[in-house]
Amino acid sequence: MAAAPRQLDSLFAALADPTRRAIVERLAAGELSVGDVAAPFAISGPAVTRHLQVLERAGLIERRIERQWRFVRVRADALAPVESWLSRQRRHWTAALDRLEAVAAAQTPSRKQS
Amino acid sequence: MSDSEMDETTLRLERLIASPPEILFALWTEPAQLIRWWAPEGYELSVDALDTRPGGRWRTTLRRSDGSVLATSGVYRVVDPPRLLAFSWAWEDEGGTRGHETEVVVNFEAAPGGTRLVLVQRRFASQQARDNHTNGWSACFDRLTRIAG
Repeated sequence: MAAAPRQLDSLFAALADPTRRAIVERLAAGELSVGDVAAPFAISGPAVTRHLQVLERAGLIERRIERQWRFVRVRADALAPVESWLSRQRRHWTAALDRLEAVAAAQTPSRKQS
Repeated sequence: MSDSEMDETTLRLERLIASPPEILFALWTEPAQLIRWWAPEGYELSVDALDTRPGGRWRTTLRRSDGSVLATSGVYRVVDPPRLLAFSWAWEDEGGTRGHETEVVVNFEAAPGGTRLVLVQRRFASQQARDNHTNGWSACFDRLTRIAG
């Protein structure tokens, strides 16, 4: 659980960059070779490599090597950290609001008595 | 808040509470009140900071009997009693490093029989960051969700 916030940070940070977001959107359509990923972008090969490294570290994409070709694709569980963050927060706030409601009720004069 | 600002990563909770907004707002913003409900059972709460002014810091620490510590902290954005409270929110790890920062907005709307409380938590740390993400983000997430689904 302690690692989750950092993972989430790197995930959102990875997607904060427009080029990386565009790369992910391209890959959402299916696996591509590294060369094909870079094709539409007016950036250098090393820059593409750096973007792919950031996306890979964030857990959004994974690489595959087949003979001399290198492929990248979106990871199937790429959004799992976001989903687990959401469900954790939902549990946290639901329980907190239950407690808030109980404490507030104890402080609120009953209409029948007033 | 319009629906267009909501997306798959926004958390929204709404409930009708049979207490007036003034009581609920005080429960969120006064340390002696916050301490009565903020901590889950089994945790001891300390309110380290609760400077309820725009830009003011807040920080709470939860301690369990086994010694584990869990702190949350942030900065108040809007303090408009008894209607609206907005603040940034992040868990801290054991070393005090803040985790992913989000924005929480709590609306206290007077309703028949009490208050309609609406809590919204978003993933972005700032309005500017959110604005920067508005274009393309949702569509991107739609595609990712389909893949991940």
